[in-house]
Amino acid sequence: MYKKILHGMDGSDGSFKALSEAIALAKLYSAELHTVFVEEVPQYAGTIGEVIEEKASANGHYGKMMVKAQAMAEAEGIRLQSRAIVGHEVKTIVELVKRKSFDLLVIGFMGRSALYDRVMGSTCSSLVRLVPCSVLVVK
Amino acid sequence: MEHTWFVSALWMGLALLSALLSMRLAISVALVEIIVGAIGGNWLGLAPTPWTNYLAGVGAILLTFLAGAEVDPEVIRRNFWSSIGIGIAGFVVPFFGVLWYAYYIAGWSWPQAQIAGLALSTTSVAVVYAVMTENGMNNTELGKIILAACFINDLGTVLVLGVLFANYNLWLVLFAGVTILAMWLLPKFVPFFFRKVGSRVSEPEIKFIFLVLFLLGGLSDMAKSEAVLPAYLIGMVLAPFFLGNKVLAQRMRVMAFTLLTPFYFLKAGALVKVDIVISAAGLIGIMLLIKIVTKFIGIWPLTKYFRFEKREGVYTTLLMCTGLTFGTICALFGVSNGIINSDQYTMLVAAVIASAVVPTLIAQRWFQPHIDINGGNDNV
Repeated sequence: MYKKILHGMDGSDGSFKALSEAIALAKLYSAELHTVFVEEVPQYAGTIGEVIEEKASANGHYGKMMVKAQAMAEAEGIRLQSRAIVGHEVKTIVELVKRKSFDLLVIGFMGRSALYDRVMGSTCSSLVRLVPCSVLVVK
Repeated sequence: MEHTWFVSALWMGLALLSALLSMRLAISVALVEIIVGAIGGNWLGLAPTPWTNYLAGVGAILLTFLAGAEVDPEVIRRNFWSSIGIGIAGFVVPFFGVLWYAYYIAGWSWPQAQIAGLALSTTSVAVVYAVMTENGMNNTELGKIILAACFINDLGTVLVLGVLFANYNLWLVLFAGVTILAMWLLPKFVPFFFRKVGSRVSEPEIKFIFLVLFLLGGLSDMAKSEAVLPAYLIGMVLAPFFLGNKVLAQRMRVMAFTLLTPFYFLKAGALVKVDIVISAAGLIGIMLLIKIVTKFIGIWPLTKYFRFEKREGVYTTLLMCTGLTFGTICALFGVSNGIINSDQYTMLVAAVIASAVVPTLIAQRWFQPHIDINGGNDNV
């Protein structure tokens, strides 16, 4: 049913829970499994150093997360292809799904307050609305 | 000083709030600090004191030094003519365009119009760098040309700010002479000295840099020039050393962003009057428009001359319309020295902040050059 599955990673417990589901689905459907980590650099920066440091910090974070993610996939005999992309979370994932023709996006649910979601908008709901494929939100 | 620690707590509390908001919103802490500073100044009684002014002043010097130390001379050398051409045009045309408008149409005095011209002639290297990091263009030749041009643009602003309001006397000659001597000697002396003293907890390297910046700042004061001028120039000549010594640059950034630049950006915001932003919104919009139009007049034809694609030309020009740090430095210089009043300062800072946001959004939304996601920023 699914041939190319994309998992959205942000390092939270929710995203690792989603990864477990994505691995299970990849195994069930013999699908390709990819994971993406979106690094957000500060917009309208005051110095180049600010951007460089935020990116270096995100890169370090990404490295640690991927060690854990790869171990989870390997334990189930699944090859996990990982990538980190600099950009806005929603825009980057939507573009990636379109360009690489993924047919399922698996993301973790991030429980924030209703007020936060109302003011800031929820990444989950934006992705569900904008990606052109099925989306599994794992709670 | 009354209630020094409570005042310190208010400033640091706002700095902390800015840092948290910046993390959540993925917007630069500098911009958030200006906005939080404006809220503090208008509604929380945040007012600069002599000691916060001192910390803000050191913050501006260090910020400018770090900006200079980020200039990669190899990038400028490799794209010399295009970056010099675009950089100079990106400074000169907006400077005279805004000066003309402020003096002849808005009725500002000549020195006030000069400050307006300077504040709106800048380009934000950091804003441009962040945008290009996001779309992967920082690794392309076009991206490097744009960055190099931004450095040249800001160098023009800092040089003119440093000499325009100076007293033309022996102090200026002494200041210029010592700065040139320091620019010649330091690239030779610093690697030797830093190797000798090594990296220690007492940070002799950073203390040495501060010593040089404060001495040159003192001379610039005597000449009625601006301390950020030597800071940027010394940063530029030491850039090859700092680009190869990332740990030292990182330690200086930590110090700057923890204790110095928050005072600078919060102060820059605290002096903004929100009622003036609202009542003079039209004039602020016109100033922003003049900045963008004059940047286009100066830069866009050159992008044609240097054979940029049409989309790339517009994108480059829009990115060079941005401004933030140097724009606020010029406006703050004007208000601190009594050249412009607080209403004019408010208008200029509002236009500068708008120039960080509006051209960036237009460039990203409609003119972003197409880059293959695999060839650009994927798998960082």
